[in-house]
Amino acid sequence: MDKNSPHELWEYVLTQVELSISPANFNTWFRDGSVVKIEDGIVYVGVPSQFFRDWYLRKFNTLLLKIIRSVSYEYRNIEYQIVKDDRRKTKEIRRVSRPTVELPLDDFYINKSDNLNPRYTFESFVIGSFNELAFAAAQAAIHRPGITYNPLFVYGDTGRGKTHLIQAIGNQYKKLYPTRKVFYLTSEKFAVDYSDSLQAGTANRFKDKYRQYDLLIMDDIQFLSKKEKTQEELFHLFNALYDNNKQIIFSSDRAPVAISDIAERLKGRLASGMTIDIGEPDHESRIAIVRKKVAAHGITLSDEVTEYIATAVAGSIRELEGVINSIVCHTQVKGIPPDIAEVRQSLRSFSRPQKTVSVKHVVSKIAEFYGIDEESIYEKTRRREVVRPRQVIMYILREDFSVSYPTIGNKLGGRDHTTVIHSCEKVKREVGSDTELAKEIQDIRTLLV
Amino acid sequence: MIISIDKKELAEAVNSVSRFAERRSTTLPILAGIVIVAGDDGIKLRATNLETGIDRKISGTIKESGVVALPATTFREITASFSGTGTVTLEHGGDTLVISSGTGRSTLKTLSYEDFPILPFPEATTVKFSIQGAQLRNLITTVAACASTSTVRPELASIFFSSEGGTIKAVATDSFRLSEKKLTVSGNTSPFSLLIPAKNILDVVQTLPDEMIEVRSDDHQCAFSCPSMMITTRLVTTSYPDYTQIIPKSFIAEATVLRKDLEASLRRSAVFSDSFQKVRVGFSTGDKKVSISAHNNDVGDSSEALTSAVSGESIELSFNHRYLTAPLSLITTESITLSASGIGRPLVIRGVGDETYLYLVMPMNQ
Repeated sequence: MDKNSPHELWEYVLTQVELSISPANFNTWFRDGSVVKIEDGIVYVGVPSQFFRDWYLRKFNTLLLKIIRSVSYEYRNIEYQIVKDDRRKTKEIRRVSRPTVELPLDDFYINKSDNLNPRYTFESFVIGSFNELAFAAAQAAIHRPGITYNPLFVYGDTGRGKTHLIQAIGNQYKKLYPTRKVFYLTSEKFAVDYSDSLQAGTANRFKDKYRQYDLLIMDDIQFLSKKEKTQEELFHLFNALYDNNKQIIFSSDRAPVAISDIAERLKGRLASGMTIDIGEPDHESRIAIVRKKVAAHGITLSDEVTEYIATAVAGSIRELEGVINSIVCHTQVKGIPPDIAEVRQSLRSFSRPQKTVSVKHVVSKIAEFYGIDEESIYEKTRRREVVRPRQVIMYILREDFSVSYPTIGNKLGGRDHTTVIHSCEKVKREVGSDTELAKEIQDIRTLLV
Repeated sequence: MIISIDKKELAEAVNSVSRFAERRSTTLPILAGIVIVAGDDGIKLRATNLETGIDRKISGTIKESGVVALPATTFREITASFSGTGTVTLEHGGDTLVISSGTGRSTLKTLSYEDFPILPFPEATTVKFSIQGAQLRNLITTVAACASTSTVRPELASIFFSSEGGTIKAVATDSFRLSEKKLTVSGNTSPFSLLIPAKNILDVVQTLPDEMIEVRSDDHQCAFSCPSMMITTRLVTTSYPDYTQIIPKSFIAEATVLRKDLEASLRRSAVFSDSFQKVRVGFSTGDKKVSISAHNNDVGDSSEALTSAVSGESIELSFNHRYLTAPLSLITTESITLSASGIGRPLVIRGVGDETYLYLVMPMNQ
C-alpha cells in the first residue's frame, strides 16, 4: 500500500473498522468519511459535520489511531476536519430535461466586485522564453502602475495564456494595493453593457462606473471590430483613465495594427504603450507547464510521460490542459498515475480524431508542401530533398494515423518495414531538438486536418 | 428512572421532538429514537438524525433520575392517543419502560442509549442575534418552497439567510424560480449570512415557539435556543450565488391584476396545460388585458383575459403554471404586479405596496 495515498489509507481503515463495529454503526458514521490529506505524520480525516467530528473524537479516535499505526509508525496523530459540501461527492446525478430556462446562477460565482477569477495567479503561471518578456512587462505594470507601460497590450494566439497573465496581474495588483479598484471584463461584455445602458437610458451611470477603476483589464479586444459606438465609448474611457494615470491592460489575438475594422485613433492609442506578443511555448516550457499543472493536482508523472505529453500534444496550452485533466481523472479513478503506454493510448483517442486516410492524399499534400514531385516519393531515390519528406510522411502516417509499419513500407514503393521504423524513430528524435522540423510538421498537420 | 408528566405536555413535546428523529431505518437504530434524560436540570427529550438535533425541556416530577431511549414512532403513537387530562408516569426498569396513565398501562421495549450522539453546538460563535420565533417562521416558510429538492447542488437546496443594515432576508432558489422575503428589524443587528439546508430549517421553524429565539452559529453549525429548547442544524459551507444580479432592474412590460382573479384563472387554465404544465401569459397593452391561455392536444384549449393596468410593450411568455401559482398564496395584498423583462428573461411577481416579498420565475422556451 502506498503510505502517502490518502485514498488507499482510508480504504484500509474502512476494511479494518468494519470488522470491529456493528454494520449500522459503520454505515452511519463511516460512509461519508475520507482521508483528506496526510501531512507531517498527521492524518486529516474529513467528516461531513460537527456531529461526526465529536463522535469520532469520542468513540473512534483510539480505534482509528490503532489502525493507522499498524500501517506505519510515521502517522503520529489524527485530526478531524469538517469538509465543505462541494468536496463531498454527490451520489445523485439527475438531469431532467426541463423546458424551463434556468436562471443564470452559474455565471455569478466569480468575485463580482472585480470579475477576476482567483484561480489565475502568478504562482500557477509558467514562465518560459516565449513569454518572459510579457511577464516582465506585467511585473513592471504592477509595480509602477499607470506610469511605465500604459496601456499594456498583450497579444498572441489562442491558448497561450493571455487571460491567465492579465488576470494574474489583476489578482496581484489587488493583493499589493488593497484599497484600489480593479476590474476585469471582456470587450464583448463591455459592448453588451454599453448597449444595455443605452437602452435603459443610464449611459451616464455607465460612464461613471468604468471611470472609477484604478486598473482596468479588457480581454479579447479584437471583438470590438465593427462596433463603432462601443469603440467610441472605449476611446473616451481610455482617454479619461489615461489622463489620470490609471493603468489599462488589453489583450487580443493579434497586434493592434492587425485588428480589422477598428477606428484609427483607437488603434493608435492601443499601440501607444507597450505592445508585446506571447509566442509559441518551446519544448522546455511545455514540459514545465505539464509539470506545474499536474503538481497542482498533487500528482507526479515520470519524466518519460511528461516528455511524451509535451511533445505529442501539439497546439495550444489549453489542449495540453485538457490532456492533463484526463490524466488527473485517470489517476483519481485508478489511484496511480498512468504509465507511458496508457498515456499514449489515451492521447491517440484524445488529441486528434482518428481518421481513415488515403496514403496517397498524405503523400501528395506533403510533397506539395516541400515542393517536390509526388512520384519521386515512391521511387528508390536517395536524393536529400526527397529523403527528408519521405521520412516525414512515414512519421506522420505512423503517429497521426496509426498506419502499421509494413503497410507504410508497402505503400511507399515497397520498402522494408524496418526502414520505416528507422525513419519514424529518426524524425521523432529530431523533432525534439530541431525546432525548424517541428514547425514544418506542425504546418503539415494543419494542412492535413 | 421514574418520572411523571402532564399528558398533554408530553404528547405535544414528543410530537415535536420525534420530527428530529431519523425516519429511514437503514442507519443506527438509536437515531430513530428519543432519549429521555431525567436529572438535575429537569426532564429533557433529545433526538437527532445527524443533520439536526433537538434538546427540549419538559416540566414534570422526577421520583428517580435516569436515562432511557425509546423508538420515536411508537412513543409518538402512544402519547398521541392519550385522552383526557391528568398525568402519565414513566417507569424504566431493565430493558423496558412502563407507561401508566390512569387506567391504561403499556410496556415498551427500550433502545440502548449509549450510542446516542452528542448534540453539537457552535463552538466559537461568529454570528449571534435574536429574532421572534414567529417572524423567523414566516420568513422561512415563505421562501422554502423555492429551494431545490435535489442534493446535487447543496447551496440550492438551502435557504440563504442574511442580514444587512437592519433588514433580515431569506432567499431560496432552485434555479428555475427564486423568492426573497425581507424583514425590517428595529435595533442594530450585526450583518451575517448563513446557508441552512432547507429541509433542516423547515423542521426547526415548525418546532420553535413564537417567543424570542437566540440564534448562534459558527462556520459549520447553527443553534436556535430559547428557555424551553435548543435546536441545532448543520450549515452548508459552499458559497451562494450572487442572486441580486439576476433580478432585472428594468422591465419592458408591467401589469397589475387582482390576485384572486389571477389565481382562479390560472387554476382553470392549468386543466388544459400540456405535459410540461405550460400556460401562456400575454401582456397586451392595446386593450389593457392580461391573457392566460393553455393548449393540450388531448384535452383542448382555453384562454382567459383579465382586466388589468398594463404598461410597456405587448409580450407573450410561457410558464410552468405551478411556478406561477406558488407565490400567489404567499402574497397577502389584494393586487399584484407582474413585471416582464423580455423574452427568455425572468418575470417578477410582487404584491402591490408590499416591498418585502419578491418572486422571480424563468419563462419556458417558446
